[in-house]
Amino acid sequence: MSSAVTEQIRKEYGAVHAALPASVIEPARRAEAIERLCAQGLPATREENWRYTNLRVLEHARFAPVETQSQAVPPLPEALPGFVRYVFVDGLLRSGAAGSHPGLTVRSLRTPGPSSSAAWGPCPDVPEARLALLNEAFATDALLIEAHANAAPAAIELVFAASAGAQAGASYPRVHVVLEAGAELTVLERHMGAPETASLVNSAVRADVGENAHLTHYRLQQCAPRTAWFDTLTAQLAAQARYHLLTVGTGALTARSTVHVRLAGAGAELALSAAALADRQQSHDMYALSEHVAPNTRTTETFRGIASGRARVAFNGKIAVRERAGGSDSRQSLRGLLDGPEAEVDLRPQLEIYTDEIRCSHGATAGKLDQNMLFYLLSRGIAPQTAQHLLKWAFLEDVVARIECAELRRQIERDLASQMSAAATLKELL
Amino acid sequence: MLKIENLHATVDGKEILKGLELEVPAGEVHAVMGPNGSGKSTLAYVLAGRPGYAVTAGRISFQGQDLLALSPEERARAGVFLGFQYPVEIPGVNNVYLLKAAINAARKQRGEPEVDAFEFLTLVREKMRLMRMDESMLSRGVNEGFSGGEKKRNEILQMLVLEPRLAVLDETDSGLDIDALKIVAHGVNTLRAPQRSLVLVTHYQRLLEHIVPDRVHVLVNGRIVRSGDRTLALELERRGYDWLIGEAA
Ligand SMILES: Nc1ncnc2c1ncn2[C@@H]1O[C@H](COP(=O)(O)OP(=O)(O)O)[C@@H](O)[C@H]1O
Ligand SMILES: [Mg+2]
Repeated sequence: MSSAVTEQIRKEYGAVHAALPASVIEPARRAEAIERLCAQGLPATREENWRYTNLRVLEHARFAPVETQSQAVPPLPEALPGFVRYVFVDGLLRSGAAGSHPGLTVRSLRTPGPSSSAAWGPCPDVPEARLALLNEAFATDALLIEAHANAAPAAIELVFAASAGAQAGASYPRVHVVLEAGAELTVLERHMGAPETASLVNSAVRADVGENAHLTHYRLQQCAPRTAWFDTLTAQLAAQARYHLLTVGTGALTARSTVHVRLAGAGAELALSAAALADRQQSHDMYALSEHVAPNTRTTETFRGIASGRARVAFNGKIAVRERAGGSDSRQSLRGLLDGPEAEVDLRPQLEIYTDEIRCSHGATAGKLDQNMLFYLLSRGIAPQTAQHLLKWAFLEDVVARIECAELRRQIERDLASQMSAAATLKELL
Repeated sequence: MLKIENLHATVDGKEILKGLELEVPAGEVHAVMGPNGSGKSTLAYVLAGRPGYAVTAGRISFQGQDLLALSPEERARAGVFLGFQYPVEIPGVNNVYLLKAAINAARKQRGEPEVDAFEFLTLVREKMRLMRMDESMLSRGVNEGFSGGEKKRNEILQMLVLEPRLAVLDETDSGLDIDALKIVAHGVNTLRAPQRSLVLVTHYQRLLEHIVPDRVHVLVNGRIVRSGDRTLALELERRGYDWLIGEAA
């Protein structure tokens, strides 16, 4: 079955490769990516880190990049103060503030330009990163964001929208974020699409956070209901770098995000907060590997997921502490809420330790709404449905409250409420 | 106001209330006392309609209507308030939101418009002063990280803001030091009114020195075994419950 799909990929690649822009990725590297992907095969649910992903959608997917560019952009969310916005439609940069932000270089690699100091090397040879190979082979555009040493804090918003014409193929968002030493940057990534779009989106994002630099990275997965969204994020943190990654997923039919963060410099810190809200037949799956390579590194991981209807929410959080990572500290708090007899939540905390003298605290629980809390609210006259909405809301607040930008937080809260069909009952909170 | 006849209730299939009779006229304060495990909290939960507390026989009428026919939220909106023995912490739902939602639920029931934001805050601030609570508590999660005493004061604050017809306070005195007890008692006393009834569930008579009851009932093994005026509480203080447990058996 999988080989039939790789054959399909090879065939589609053969048909389009000559037209793929060399400035985004060199042809030789694309060809190599295809070879590696086909040699390894696509991920399968029998593999332990893909167990919870809905991979069937790949069987009928079209992999060649969408060609139509005439379609209208779906309505965009309100702009956020202080953020400079770049809009990609079906993977291609459509609009973005040209010109320069002080201390910041942002450019699409579709237009050839000076090569960057920070290269995005080939995909690591790990089975979890395979879908990044697919991106490497087909990407039609890539955005390079460089925050220069000790630049003033800046904020960038990237909107990846799938158009109604995207049924005819896939799109491949690709972003490389580089923070030089001491830089401070906020990147907001939104993935969305026209409601009727049933496309495949396969994004690859890489972040290099330099010494003492601080990257705040918000990722919102709000794809159209029939979209299949796959994503591979790799990040490398230098000494004393801080990376705050916060993801909120509400959209898509099937969504899988693979995150691999290497804490490569002493004292580097990762704060990963993720929330998922899935209903109906949705499946939201995230695999996050935090790899402590250097001493005194720190990971704080928080996951809150709610599955309603026949949805499935999975979070597989692995923290690996290598030999030289003494003095490191990791905390993991994973919680799932089962909202309905047919819903499924799978939480998998994993800890792999190759050294002593580390601290870690881990907890994972999945369960139903707390009946004591529910009754307390009812006993104050609150309607059962409102009480349930309120408790789900409160559950996700563990993640949402960490969003420092108040405007963005409100947008996300409104989106979560409307996903829960609770916009009316929770209006006082929005 | 409240009339309970031949009430039998089970929890997890085990009969806890076994033919309880109690009548509380409007404007009166009644104390229900009894040893641990006698069914006091069960009675309070049955009145509030907690799921899992099954009434197998008997009637409860509240202001002439069948209380058992109402859902928990309908009872609250009709004016029944339960002060929990163990108030629940709800992180992520803040106190001010809960108060406002609770007030508006009752107003909606009565066909009144939602409370005016300014009026609401003025009311809440006034009641908080009465309970000597810091205003910063409003923006915190419901009971989140509150000490035992703060939780109890928060229960009384909610009661003062909601102005129920019937308040059932389950061991509101437990875990309070003497100063906090006085504050709580003062709060409760401000609510005494001809059209309102209070049921104080307590284990000790200490609270009753500050909130003087019209009647005292002793609950033993799921039944009211004795009723009297406030001197009964003093007698219980002196003699304990053993002599009544003997009688009930
Ligand atoms: N959830 C429950 N499941 C089984 N038994 C319970 C439960 N809750 C209370 N009980 C039992 O019911 C009896 C009465 O409890 P309770 O009403 O809490 O007493 P009180 O408040 O007077 O101390 C006790 O024997 C207690 O063990
Ligand atoms: Mg009790």
